[in-house]
Amino acid sequence: MSLLELKNIYKIYGDLHALDDVNLKVEKGEWLSIMGPSGSGKSTMMNIIGCMDKPTRGEVLLDGTDISKESAKNLTTIRRDKIGLIFQQFHLVNYLTAVENVMLAQYYHSVPDEKEAVEALDRVGLADRAKHLPSQLSGGEQQRVCVARALINYPEIILADEPTGNLDDANEKIVVDLFHKLHNEGTTLIVVTHDPEVAEVAQRTVYLRNGKLVKETVNENFTGEIKFDKD
Amino acid sequence: MFFRMISGTLFRQWKKMLMIAFTIALGASLATAMLSVMLDVGDKVNQELKTYGANITVVPKESSVLNSLYEVEDGGSSGAYLREDELGKIKTIFWAFNIIDYAPFVNAKATLDDGSEIIAVGTWFNHHMELPTGEQLDAGVASMRNWWSITSGKWLDEQSADSRTVAMAGSALAQRLGIQPGDTVHLTGTESDITVTVVGIFDAGGDEDGRLFMPLDTAQALDGLDGKIDSIEVSALTTPENELAVQAAKDPKSLTIAQYETWYCTAYASSICYQIQEVITDSVASPVRQVAESEGAILEKTELLMTLITILSLVGSALGICNLVTASVMERSAEMGLMKAIGAQNSSVSGLVLTEIVITAIIGGTVGFFAGWGFAQIIGHTVFGSSIEMRPVVIPIVAVLVLVVTLAGCIPAIRMLLRLHPAEVLHGK
Amino acid sequence: MKRRQMYFRMITASLIRRRSRMLVALLSIAIGAAILSGLVTIYYDVPRQMGAQFRNYGANMIITSEGGSLTDGDIEQSRSYIDSADIVGVTPYRYESVRIRELPVMAAGTDMSQALLTSPYWSVEGAMPAAEGGQLLLGASLSEQFRLGVGDEVTVSFTPEANGTASDEPVLDSTLDLTVAGVLKTGGPEEDYVYIAMSDLETLTGISGKADLAEMSVSASGDKLKAYADVISANVPAVSASLVKRVTESETTVLTKLQALVLLVTVVVLALTMICVATTMTAVVAERRREIGLRKAIGASNGGIIKEFMGEGMMLGAIGGLAGSLLGFVFAQQVSVNVFGSSISFMPVLVPITILVSVAVTGVSCLLPIRSATQVDPALVLKGE
Repeated sequence: MSLLELKNIYKIYGDLHALDDVNLKVEKGEWLSIMGPSGSGKSTMMNIIGCMDKPTRGEVLLDGTDISKESAKNLTTIRRDKIGLIFQQFHLVNYLTAVENVMLAQYYHSVPDEKEAVEALDRVGLADRAKHLPSQLSGGEQQRVCVARALINYPEIILADEPTGNLDDANEKIVVDLFHKLHNEGTTLIVVTHDPEVAEVAQRTVYLRNGKLVKETVNENFTGEIKFDKD
Repeated sequence: MFFRMISGTLFRQWKKMLMIAFTIALGASLATAMLSVMLDVGDKVNQELKTYGANITVVPKESSVLNSLYEVEDGGSSGAYLREDELGKIKTIFWAFNIIDYAPFVNAKATLDDGSEIIAVGTWFNHHMELPTGEQLDAGVASMRNWWSITSGKWLDEQSADSRTVAMAGSALAQRLGIQPGDTVHLTGTESDITVTVVGIFDAGGDEDGRLFMPLDTAQALDGLDGKIDSIEVSALTTPENELAVQAAKDPKSLTIAQYETWYCTAYASSICYQIQEVITDSVASPVRQVAESEGAILEKTELLMTLITILSLVGSALGICNLVTASVMERSAEMGLMKAIGAQNSSVSGLVLTEIVITAIIGGTVGFFAGWGFAQIIGHTVFGSSIEMRPVVIPIVAVLVLVVTLAGCIPAIRMLLRLHPAEVLHGK
Repeated sequence: MKRRQMYFRMITASLIRRRSRMLVALLSIAIGAAILSGLVTIYYDVPRQMGAQFRNYGANMIITSEGGSLTDGDIEQSRSYIDSADIVGVTPYRYESVRIRELPVMAAGTDMSQALLTSPYWSVEGAMPAAEGGQLLLGASLSEQFRLGVGDEVTVSFTPEANGTASDEPVLDSTLDLTVAGVLKTGGPEEDYVYIAMSDLETLTGISGKADLAEMSVSASGDKLKAYADVISANVPAVSASLVKRVTESETTVLTKLQALVLLVTVVVLALTMICVATTMTAVVAERRREIGLRKAIGASNGGIIKEFMGEGMMLGAIGGLAGSLLGFVFAQQVSVNVFGSSISFMPVLVPITILVSVAVTGVSCLLPIRSATQVDPALVLKGE
């Protein structure tokens, strides 16, 4: 059984079919990229997978249970327990320190544990910056705090929305390397991006266009390393 | 384009703008209400203090002195009188408008059938006057002795048909003679005799309880004092005394012309007295210190109290407005960053923000002004039972206050806008 | 770490690290709370303070004897029924007809040290006579009539009442030489009297220990004053206490109106200030929609978010309320000192009340915007719109 399965998903806003009969299976431990230009339905799909939105029609099976008809309240619980989110704009709470931002996720999930939170920061290489406020961190560092926050509750899936959109190449590499590390530890990764370099690192890439899955490529020589075009 | 942008903000972001306008309206209404009440509270409290009775007494110049003393001795009147026909002139002096009530008094000696002597006081009860100015006034003891409690019967009504043969008796007198309302009393004066019907018994808590009060004509006829009165009590709205007034009270001639004019044209008790002396022949008008001085103290304290409360509420509303304006401009940093990114100069961004806020402030301030005026009326009617007069000076004060406060509220926000780096804002930092 | 600890850590972090924004909100709450506590203090203090002003009108209670004359003992006993803090002054008066330059004049014997307390409106040109005697206070009319001024010597004579048993014997006038210490102006009948020390009048008449009446100035109004008068009339034998209606009735009327005015003003100011606090809190919350969206995205329930933001708002309310209640007391104190020249009593009960009210107001004013903010779609907010 797949970890996540989308069956005949439609998301319709008036006349606009943001998602049009999308079918997708994601296996446990898989690293998947979702690519597509602006307006292709990436965000809608990410919101549905991230339990922040519900499809107009179709089934979303997470761990074998259909979550497409759940109430907003239950979706929040599912999201909290099973999904770790990473955003393009980081979205850290600007008056909480790095470690407190990580603890915030623990707090909503179960019980905050500062030691564990610092360990999570250590895994992204930021243990020494735990007491810094977001404004004192660089963009890359902020994104790594986000990664630490996303993985702190051991989610089934880490869902990243343009995780490198605001980062330079060096930081992009650090973040992708982190993903590689998580992948090796068995975490399921879904990365939404329009950056081919980032997308191509994944084991499998699906292409969205006008709300339909139009293409799927499998990375035969998967290394988990990002390759920059040297142009 | 500038105006299109502004109207765009005002109409499309009307919810936010409405909140700002609402807060400004609240602040402005608070300011208006408090200022109006503050400026009018003096007059209002002064009116209330009139319940203490006359603050000026007028007596004949000669032997005003012995009057009271001989009254104690034999209950009669001394030789000098004021003229009844001059009474109307009191309402013609410079400060006529401030004279809210007055009543003449004449004391007649009368003998009852049992041989005992009493003092019959002739006065106005609710004397109706039509003044040359077209104003109408009901003057007399009915309003100037409102601390009298009528123990039985009712107030004497001068407008009633039998008004010449009725009287009111003090409680002590009524008790001594055993009279009830409706009973008649036969009085013999030095010139004539008359039978009056007692319509009411009052308790004044003083000497007046031993006297019989009747209309002026009736008492005058008893002792043949036609057209003559002993004294006048005047109730006037006055301004608390200051040094100038004290100096003038001693001798108006010691003032310079400028000082004299200031004094004459201010409603001090002493200047009103002076003006009354000018119109009533051979009279001495003097402030009743017990009333005049206490009024001054109470008025001054009340006005000061209201001023301080007003200042506090102005500060409160200023802070409220300031806060919200700052917060709401800050909120729009993304939009401002975008404008800067597409090439807007700092000045034009600030100009846009200021114009929007000022338009909102004008709308909010206008609404608030009228709301505040309403509040003031509510206060006036609830507390004093009369409406609060709107002083024109309130309008500019409130207008300046609202504009200054609103603009002050924009300063921190605009300083922040000027420091904005468009790129950072657009990247959602 | 306990969840509760994290909860407080978040709230305090928000309050401390977002210092400037929070200070603004705090300031507005504190000002609101200050207005509340200040005005309420003034409201409760107005009758007392204004009552003191009304004592300018002088005596509001007169004690007379029901038969014969009033003794010092009667006055002392009457006095004992009134709370000593409420007594402004008690002045005995005894009236006798005396003669100055063979003209009859009413003389009032009194306690010179008390007279100004019960008649503060007296304007004395010169000085009040010494309490021990030898001097007199001349009414302004008499001063004019006799052409006597401050410093002049005057002989006061008194004819004792004919003694019944020795009616044939000529009765000698007793005389006393006194100095005019001051001239009294009141604009009222007092100007026709001459005031001398009680001891001098006793020497002159040869009769001591009696008075016709005593004026009392009591700082109480309305029912309380009435109760005092009733107690005295009921408990002191042969004494009746009556109120000077002209003063008491009017005082009650005016004081009631003044208090009503302050109350109404307090209510209006308070209502408007509270709305101002509410709009400020609304703005403070609205600013943080994105953060609310983020918290929802990482798994916060609506209830959790409401709890956190309310906690923050109410903590602000508590701090602001505490600061405001102290500030309000300082304000009330300043008003009292400036306006009435006396200090105000601190009402400890106002502190918890003020804090409670500001917590309640900030709580309520946060609740609505937070509730609406929790309805936001996290996905939308996080996209940066």
